[in-house]
Amino acid sequence: MREIAHLVLVLGLICSLSAGALAYVRTSLAPRIEMQEDFYVRGPALERLFQQPAKELLTEKLTVPVGDQDYPVFYLRQDGEVTGLAVEAAGKGGYSGDIVIMIGLDPRSDRVLGVEIVSHSETPGLGAKVELASFRQQWTGLILDQPLALAGDGGGIDAITGATFSSRAMVEGSNQVVDLLRDHRQEILSLIEQRSADGATSGGES
Amino acid sequence: MDLLLLAIGSIFVNNILLAQYLGNCPFCGVSKKLGTAIGMGVAVIFVATLASIFTWVVYHYLLKPQGLEYLKTLVFILVIAALVQFVEIFIKKQSKGLYDSLGIFLPLITTNCAVMGIALLNIKHGFGFVQMIVFSASSAAGFAVAILLFASVRERLFISSVPTAMRGTAIALVTAGVMSLAFMGFAGMTN
Amino acid sequence: MNFRQTLTHGLWRDLPPFRLVLGLCPALAVTATAENGLGMGIAVTFVLIFSNMFISLLRKVIPDKVRIASYIVVIATLVVIVELAMKAFFFPLSQQLGIYIPLIVVNCIILGRAEAFASRNPVHLSMADGLSVGLGFSMSLTLVGSIREILGVGTWFGMAVFPDSFEPFGFMVQAPGAFLCLGLLLGLMNAWSRHRGEFFIQT
Repeated sequence: MREIAHLVLVLGLICSLSAGALAYVRTSLAPRIEMQEDFYVRGPALERLFQQPAKELLTEKLTVPVGDQDYPVFYLRQDGEVTGLAVEAAGKGGYSGDIVIMIGLDPRSDRVLGVEIVSHSETPGLGAKVELASFRQQWTGLILDQPLALAGDGGGIDAITGATFSSRAMVEGSNQVVDLLRDHRQEILSLIEQRSADGATSGGES
Repeated sequence: MDLLLLAIGSIFVNNILLAQYLGNCPFCGVSKKLGTAIGMGVAVIFVATLASIFTWVVYHYLLKPQGLEYLKTLVFILVIAALVQFVEIFIKKQSKGLYDSLGIFLPLITTNCAVMGIALLNIKHGFGFVQMIVFSASSAAGFAVAILLFASVRERLFISSVPTAMRGTAIALVTAGVMSLAFMGFAGMTN
Repeated sequence: MNFRQTLTHGLWRDLPPFRLVLGLCPALAVTATAENGLGMGIAVTFVLIFSNMFISLLRKVIPDKVRIASYIVVIATLVVIVELAMKAFFFPLSQQLGIYIPLIVVNCIILGRAEAFASRNPVHLSMADGLSVGLGFSMSLTLVGSIREILGVGTWFGMAVFPDSFEPFGFMVQAPGAFLCLGLLLGLMNAWSRHRGEFFIQT
């Protein structure tokens, strides 16, 4: 009995030390990991959308929580006005998992600047064709005031032949962005205003 | 249909041993005789499937809701180690014959990267429950197929004259390379 | 073994994975390029030094029965730290190495050194052993990675080494090339050992 207590005590001590160490490392590295992830995973997509170096764009980041999901939103600001928004959404229903897309748009007109794929794990040569510019082109210039749909479902987006699931996941992701803009536009814009104001004052102090 | 493709794909095309390089230590260590290779193969199929189920459930219902995904390495290895211990005790109690044939392989399996690798790949590919079971069982079956074939080849190698410097692990690795080349012929069968 | 022997034995006498035939999986899996091989080697070295250190420190506290379980907890903790640090500081490399970083936890070298060396030697020797074996492992992985990258892609650490007319030997960066390359290297090494008259037979 004493022996078992001893075993449990030692193991428990080692485990709690390890948990403590891990929690410490995790909390101290989390911001850096997030930055790196943004830079390498989202950076390229952002750069293509806004034609500006990712380093500057990535600092302008918000996270908008809706339900149990967080939507990362990046923005472009010129002369006190928000001229570009990039919203990331995970399109459900891809052939092998979510297709994470980023839609760039001009919030003044809701006109889409372009859509980029952040990450996907679709089949090369088939579902992976969602990456093709000729497919993504169909989004450019659309006005995001109502949900999109595939041509086969009575909408205006032509699916990739043989990759209906992947195409539908892209549309599903876009519709999340449509919903987000419809329900949370004011919230997003005021968050941006608030952040810019904070940035201006703290910038003045330093 | 998709599940069948997934199964064929993970047995032959993405063979866990010959294309993903997981589980090479037991591959070279216990593949000298056909009998031990069969034992190892069966033990891996059994433990890998069971371990995948446990780790998948733990990940999706315990770690993920708590935002503790980063602990998965630590938790998975503990789950696997505990599971192997438990299976060993259980088999010992239930069947003496099975224990005599499988027992010695069980401790080796804890540090078999194929088992841990399959558990991690399940998470990485974002599989659902059914997909996960099919993938784990067929990946482990792929391991068993490869180690069986390999053991048969090695039994013959034993009686052939290999240059002294290449004896043992060296020729085993070269043989594995040739087998891996043969398995590459399956590529393109799925997708 | 004295301190100096401990510090150098991993570099040739027990060079993993060639002469200490452990840790074959990473040696095959992440050596498609020299950079990946070196990165993996450094990660393993870090884990080895500190796992040896902690296990040696705790060797009198840990009861024999839960020995392996305790080692696994220590090693896994260090691996998670490496995983997080890699993501924070070498993100592209961590993406390249993928699941092979968490798999360091089942790398037989680490548990092997813990059991065979750290559990019965004082701290400074154990750390020297970890450093030595880890460096040896890094050297080997970088060597295999260099050979495969130079022949298979025509570059070394990303720098071109051949003129454009060189047609890369794509087979080398794929799975069969990995097995073949490691097998032949092992054969060469055995031949060299025999030539020097060292007693060395693998089973």
